[in-house]
Amino acid sequence: MSAIDFINFYVVPGLVLGSIYAVGAIGITMVFGILRFAHFAHGDMATLGAFIALAFVGTGLDPWTALPLAMLVTAVVAVGIDKTFYDYLVKRPKILTVMASLGIALMIRSVVQVVWGVDPQPYVRGIVRPDSFGGILLRPRELYTLATVVVLVVGLVAFLHYTRWGKAMRAMSDNPDLARLSGVDNRQVTMLTWAIVGALTAASGFMLGINTELNSMMGWHMLLPMFAAAILGGVGRVEGAVLGGLIVGLAEEMSVLIVPSQYKMATAFVILLLILLLRPSGLLKGKVL
Amino acid sequence: MELTGLLNYALFMGILIGIYALLSLALNIHWGFTGLFNAGVAGFFAVGAYVSAILTSTPAGGRIGGFELPVVLGWLGAMVVAGAIAWPIGRICLRLRSDYLAIATLGVAEIIRLVIKSEDWLTGGSRGITGIPRPFGDLDYMASQAAYLALVLAVLLAVYLAVERQLRAPWGRMMRAIRDNEAAAAAMGKDVSARRLEAFIFGSAIMGLAGALFVHFNRSITPEAIDPMIATFLIWIMLILGGSGNNRGAILGALVIWLIWSMSEMLTDRLPAEVATQASYIRVFVIGLMLQLVLRFRPEGILPEESARQRHSTP
Amino acid sequence: MSATPVLSMKAVRGGYGDADILQGVSIDVAEREIVVIVGPNGAGKSTAMKAVFGLLNVRGGQIVFDGEDITGWAPNRIVRRGICYVPQVDNVFRDMTVHENFEMGAFLRKGNLSAAYDRVYQLFPDLKAKRRNLAGNLSGGQRQMVAMGRALMLDPKLLLLDEPTAGLSPKYMEQIFQITRDVRDSGVSIMLVEQHAKQALAFCDRGYVLATGANRHEGTGAALLADREVAQMFLGG
Repeated sequence: MSAIDFINFYVVPGLVLGSIYAVGAIGITMVFGILRFAHFAHGDMATLGAFIALAFVGTGLDPWTALPLAMLVTAVVAVGIDKTFYDYLVKRPKILTVMASLGIALMIRSVVQVVWGVDPQPYVRGIVRPDSFGGILLRPRELYTLATVVVLVVGLVAFLHYTRWGKAMRAMSDNPDLARLSGVDNRQVTMLTWAIVGALTAASGFMLGINTELNSMMGWHMLLPMFAAAILGGVGRVEGAVLGGLIVGLAEEMSVLIVPSQYKMATAFVILLLILLLRPSGLLKGKVL
Repeated sequence: MELTGLLNYALFMGILIGIYALLSLALNIHWGFTGLFNAGVAGFFAVGAYVSAILTSTPAGGRIGGFELPVVLGWLGAMVVAGAIAWPIGRICLRLRSDYLAIATLGVAEIIRLVIKSEDWLTGGSRGITGIPRPFGDLDYMASQAAYLALVLAVLLAVYLAVERQLRAPWGRMMRAIRDNEAAAAAMGKDVSARRLEAFIFGSAIMGLAGALFVHFNRSITPEAIDPMIATFLIWIMLILGGSGNNRGAILGALVIWLIWSMSEMLTDRLPAEVATQASYIRVFVIGLMLQLVLRFRPEGILPEESARQRHSTP
Repeated sequence: MSATPVLSMKAVRGGYGDADILQGVSIDVAEREIVVIVGPNGAGKSTAMKAVFGLLNVRGGQIVFDGEDITGWAPNRIVRRGICYVPQVDNVFRDMTVHENFEMGAFLRKGNLSAAYDRVYQLFPDLKAKRRNLAGNLSGGQRQMVAMGRALMLDPKLLLLDEPTAGLSPKYMEQIFQITRDVRDSGVSIMLVEQHAKQALAFCDRGYVLATGANRHEGTGAALLADREVAQMFLGG
């Protein structure tokens, strides 16, 4: 296989998928780092975001215009879910919040299924031909996906490093007791975290939907890769989640060179087990909870 | 005529409740007594089901199996393989926090599902496996059901007694000590990881056994039998509602939740077709909501853990 | 030095749970004074300090700071009032830079903070060159300095240091003591708990010896060092 074919059939899809995983994994790692639990409803929240965008598209909007609106709505929903279902578990062992989030996942999924049904559907119909960029084939939606991910990641990192609230979030992730002693308001940081996580999650769901199709299980099937990516990169580390996402995405696309294509999903699981076995703190040395 | 129908239905339900109760007991070993979050219950169940099916079923073209071994060997095989799968997962994850085990068991269940669907030569793929023998299958319908129910209840009772006995033994006290205060237990010199691994393997083997019991009841198995996540979740809420850390609570929870689940299915089945599918999703929503409510208002469940110092098992 | 003390603990009793660890402890800290609390293990030294900062269930006695009764106040209220606490461990944000640690120290302050930054970098010149380094990558002694600097960013009137020299080499220990004196000279009162009793008593202004949750001895550092009973208690090491 020529180099350019390899790039077009494996690297490009791997990067697109990987950047979708990256955005989702950032949310997972933020919840791990700041709120300290494994957010099992993350995948289904992505599904919800994707379908909310579909609803906006139904009113006549272009999908990429619907995206920021869907992100906003999902951010609000995420904060609402926290206040209603996770807030009163705060003082109890974190594993119970994990358990609750598993239930929330099913609840979100069933809402999506009731409102939009279980049949797969696309944002837009029709075949789109890729454009050639010096031999590298990219469809507009793939280009926009990569660009959006870059914008989101750069924006988030800038927020975390240059704004007061961003530093407060990093402080809470780093040393929650000291953060409290410094005057950081736990509840406000929690709300802000959920808003950001909700928005990012919606984006990853949308981008998966626009590059493949929408169905009610789409987010759930991303859950394992997103967790693998977050843990691979180092729990609590945003840069790690991005790196982990790209690696998992590339590995998944390239796995068909070695294993039958039905086992693509197993790639993430193997990566997860390997990293837990060899280096639980991940590549960029995050926490081991 | 009506009475027979009702009786048959009751027997049918009884068998399923018994199998779910067994799963709930097994999960209690993981979560209630050892504090392990197994999110892949359906996976171990499926493994047990398929192993027993492969070992005991009649031959069929296109897949291995058809060994037609005695049913008992099928069940033993189910337990062994389910336990064997638990071992590496446990070795890797048990030294880390529960969240990691939850993620990994979720992954295991997914992989098992993938393998079942893809490896036609092993599992019959989407066709599944048929021709699975049923103990007492030669009797006429109602007698056969009753006999199988008795069998399931016997297994359930045996497992219940075995676990209860272990709990009252030094092993049980040690497990509670490890669960409640791991640092202190480790300081006492107990091999914490080894004990937790034992519990994990044992519980998983029981889950495999439940799968085997199911498959011999059903006489066949296909991958679409039930959505694994919903099944796993049902068992979790059975345990939490019934009372984790309490074996009778586990069984009671299975009874209550299964009744609610099947009653609601009966209700939604009577609805017109278009609404019926919506209603089935709403049932899942309600079960998810029930978990939130239980966690909030009655986290210890209907039958709380019965030790003098109820601690960690009460969420 | 007969002015009203900045901090006055009067017969304070309390503990973390139901049992009382402190059985009536009285400690005064005056303006521009370094007061050291020493004592054998389990004497309640750190506990006494935590009582001042609102991290303890105080069931008896009174704590008066800068003329106000702060008994029972929550820590974040006490921080705003002018007392800063440097815990013994986990006292920096390891994944944030030195400068960001100082920024977090001043999280509650508004307005121009350049004077505050100047002050801490003057007190800890070594840190100025390292201000973009992650706190977790610094040596133990430098991390301790970051911890102290973080606490000073709020311009407290009273600084509480819990075993600041724990695990440090003699070189850093001496540096920390010197810096503590500089901090005192810049107008801050300091209460510190120390395990290295001899060195601590040598450099402080006044000291208290606690044992089993109550006062046993008090006096100037020099006087305590010379006291035979105190020496017997634990100054062997």
